[in-house]
Amino acid sequence: MTKTTRSRIASWRGGALLLCLCALVGLAGCGSSGNNGSSGGKVTLSYAVWDQPQVPATKRIISEFHRSHPNIDVQVQVTPWDDYWTKLRTAATGGSAPDVFWMTLAYFKYYAKGGALMPLDSQIDASHVDMSNYVPAIRSAYRFDGKTYGMPRDVNSFGLFYNKKLFKQAGLSAPDGSWTWADVTAAARKLTDKSRGVYGIVAPEVDELGWYLTIPQAGGYVLSPDGKQSGYDQAASVKGIQFWVDLVNKYHASPSLQQMTDTDPLSMFTSGKAAMYYGGSWDPVAISAVPYAKANVDVAPLPHDATRLFYSNGLANTIYARTKHPKEAWEFTKFLASKRAADINATTGTVIPAYKGEADNYVRSMPWMHLQRIVDQLPNARPFPSTIDTSVWRDNATKEFAKAWTGQETVPAAAANVTKQMNAALADEGK
Amino acid sequence: MSVSLDKSEPATVSPGYGPTRTRRARRTRVHRGEGWWALAMLVPTLVGLGVFSLWPIFQTLYYSFTTWGAFGGHVWSGLANYRSLLSDSELLQSLLNTFIFTAVTLTSVPLAIVVAALLNRPGMRGLAVYRTLYFLPVVTLPASVALMWKLLLSGDYGIVNWLLSLVHVNGPYWLSNPGTAIYALAAVSVWSSIGFNMVILLAGIQTIPRDYYEAAELDGAGKVRQFVSITVPLLTPSIFFVTVITVINSLQAFDLVYLMVGVNNPALDHSQTIVYLFYKTGFIDHNGGYAAAIAFVLMVAILVFTTVQFRLQKRWVHYV
Amino acid sequence: MSSATSQRSQGTPARRSSNVVPHVVLCIGAVFMVGPFAWEVLTSVKTFAASIHVPPVLVPNPFEWHNYLTVFQTLPFGRLFLNTVLMTVARTAGQVIFCSLSGYAFARLHFRGRGLLFGLFLSVLMVPSQMFLIPQYQIIQHLGLLNTVAGLSLPGMFSAFGTFLMRQFFMQLPVEMEEAARLDGANPLQTYWHVMLPLSAPGMLALGILVAIWSWNDLLWPLVVNTDPAKMPLSAGLASLQGEHLTNYPVLMAGALLASLPLIVAFIVFQRHLIQGIASTGIKG
Repeated sequence: MTKTTRSRIASWRGGALLLCLCALVGLAGCGSSGNNGSSGGKVTLSYAVWDQPQVPATKRIISEFHRSHPNIDVQVQVTPWDDYWTKLRTAATGGSAPDVFWMTLAYFKYYAKGGALMPLDSQIDASHVDMSNYVPAIRSAYRFDGKTYGMPRDVNSFGLFYNKKLFKQAGLSAPDGSWTWADVTAAARKLTDKSRGVYGIVAPEVDELGWYLTIPQAGGYVLSPDGKQSGYDQAASVKGIQFWVDLVNKYHASPSLQQMTDTDPLSMFTSGKAAMYYGGSWDPVAISAVPYAKANVDVAPLPHDATRLFYSNGLANTIYARTKHPKEAWEFTKFLASKRAADINATTGTVIPAYKGEADNYVRSMPWMHLQRIVDQLPNARPFPSTIDTSVWRDNATKEFAKAWTGQETVPAAAANVTKQMNAALADEGK
Repeated sequence: MSVSLDKSEPATVSPGYGPTRTRRARRTRVHRGEGWWALAMLVPTLVGLGVFSLWPIFQTLYYSFTTWGAFGGHVWSGLANYRSLLSDSELLQSLLNTFIFTAVTLTSVPLAIVVAALLNRPGMRGLAVYRTLYFLPVVTLPASVALMWKLLLSGDYGIVNWLLSLVHVNGPYWLSNPGTAIYALAAVSVWSSIGFNMVILLAGIQTIPRDYYEAAELDGAGKVRQFVSITVPLLTPSIFFVTVITVINSLQAFDLVYLMVGVNNPALDHSQTIVYLFYKTGFIDHNGGYAAAIAFVLMVAILVFTTVQFRLQKRWVHYV
Repeated sequence: MSSATSQRSQGTPARRSSNVVPHVVLCIGAVFMVGPFAWEVLTSVKTFAASIHVPPVLVPNPFEWHNYLTVFQTLPFGRLFLNTVLMTVARTAGQVIFCSLSGYAFARLHFRGRGLLFGLFLSVLMVPSQMFLIPQYQIIQHLGLLNTVAGLSLPGMFSAFGTFLMRQFFMQLPVEMEEAARLDGANPLQTYWHVMLPLSAPGMLALGILVAIWSWNDLLWPLVVNTDPAKMPLSAGLASLQGEHLTNYPVLMAGALLASLPLIVAFIVFQRHLIQGIASTGIKG
């Protein structure tokens, strides 16, 4: 072999060895910093959330917590809503779920029954937390089998967000507390301008911001009080859904389901492509982040029908049953449920805290919007329909009603199908 | 990535040695006691594959006969999953979707042949530039490809529909319309795989001696005739290779469906591929047993397709 | 058609027909190939309103660089990049080293049961990776490697395909040098290290390139095995970006560009080797 060949061979082998070493070092280095590290008394907790716009306020809360608890670090893990529950369940089954995470009523009972959540009563007693500080509805919603599993975080209310500029251009007066469904429909039709690609309203095929508001307003219900019967086939419930479907298919005042899948409804509203949007108390932060929307959007009370009632949710912070740091996780969760944390959430306009007495802070946080109108609706809230395995029948309903949105099925036919599936699922739960 | 290259070669091939007598003598002398060395060199791959491939195959097969519980645990349920499979319209639809996807993606092969043939013309300048440009989609993250095309295919705001509107065609909502979604996905797949196929086919074309073309030219054959009678037949081994790879990869399509269509899309049922259904069943619905059964169906499908292709190759592939 | 007539490899200049039409066709094709990238770059600096404007806006005005900032605020981009690099290096190194060892063993060493064992390898080749997925997840879980880069990399470090590729390659190398070394008393490992390894560089390169591209682009396995956003590679991170920003096209385009840029740059720099490597796998097939 010549000298050059020898040196080239040497460099190849050297390269191979280097590659080997890199791999080993990389694996070793990253393998050890796997799950929550705790070295020398310092503990790192993971906190899972799904809503990116709420992260800034959350990070402020964490930094304040860290000042009083310097040995505890908290890492926020943001997973988009569509993936959040998938990942959480996989992680919970695999023993690697985050230490503290957001919980919602739709999934609460499933997780509580499945033993994935840590009961908090003993910690609450030991820390002398006064549970009467929280909105009773949320407080009791996160109890299961006589135990408390979640610390209330927020309570949801809703409003009709509208584009002031588009209303003025169409010569319409702004919505107010007197509006009924008929007013919404009439305004939506007037505001729709196909030539400019503008719609009067967005009518997304969702329950929480859609028919969970209109069904109670029409006097119907989704779940019977004993939790064993579906109410979707009631005439009033059908009416509540028909309201949305007509906006899409009859009056063409809303984009189609295909359009709203193609482009997200909230972005259509904040970019001026739609004039009205039924939104939640957590939406103002996202809406105000868009300069055009901040300048032109305001909110009115929800239009009513026979009643003003609506279904309302509220989040809680829960602790993973198999967390490796139960004491630290409780310290953090306790802080998350404290008045200080509620202050931060309210003054940033992020959510209406479940801690009583923060509503004024929330209202004052964004003077360019009449948030008071959202808060005023709270007395009309009714408990979010949930059973042991809510997602089975809820996802089914969403899938079935999509056919009504695309005109494949009439609303009564879809409602009848949903009721059948839902009752079967509820019967299965009883077994 | 599980791809088989050359099935025509038997499993045991002795390296080319000299005449029999010397070969035997060499073998005994040189290869005595090699077994231990072979074992040592094989151990990492053997252990790795054993743990991460062989054992999982049996484990998955076992799971396909079980039903899974809420947060872990499973119970034996016999053939229940397989019986559900047969009457599952969602599964049958996803198989159909996957076949449509594969069939449309295969059009990247003739397209790549044409491109390769054009690049192979004598005195073709800028070959390296063209090659780079055509190969760019192949080295782009599939997630990026999906997002890029999601914008281009946007029903209201995308370039594709805008261009169509210039010729007075009203473009559909490509990715949320059940009738068009799978075709849109397949088109993106064609776009991103032409470059790869082209590179392999170009290499194959470049091994065809120029003399053949010159002789044909002397005989009076035109460019097209040369292409059909010389290029394509001699290229069939590469075409076969590229076709097998394209089919196997298409049957396993997942990324595009996950990123461009997604769970809340009304077009999902008519565009989800079988691997997406597997993911949805196993990791969104947490129905591990049924997902395992779906994986088994996929394996059978790939086996069938590949076997058929290898059987058919005798009819149309000319090995030189 | 006898090849005895002409030894020349190029056609005579006089007979070369015009290449204008092919160039036109290829250019049109190239526009289709590159056009989407151009649009991606342009959109990444538009405001959302500009990105959904009809008719489409060609030159953004004003330039909205804030989109890139949003990407960095939503994703821990540096970490994602690091995870991807580490995972790719680990998988590539693992496969190149282990598969060349086993490929050599199958190609040149004689031992009992070689045929059977190789048949076993081949059967693994025929099975789609989804058949391994759920048990692989459980194994990684039991090893305590969920949400780690090691968990991302480990199953991908071993491959029947890589073994097959390297075996094919080794079988086509000349026997003489190896024979000489063996007769000199070198054991198989020494023969491999001193003689075969340098000669197999092209094969290892080809395998390395394929594995590197495949690892970088892998989506399904990272989705399954890592739930912690900070431990994801770029592919899963980009999917997460879409989940957060839905159809905020400028932000998505910025993220897509950032995530795919490293591999594209590597490609442009090493393109000759890359394309050679990929082409060589085809010819042997």
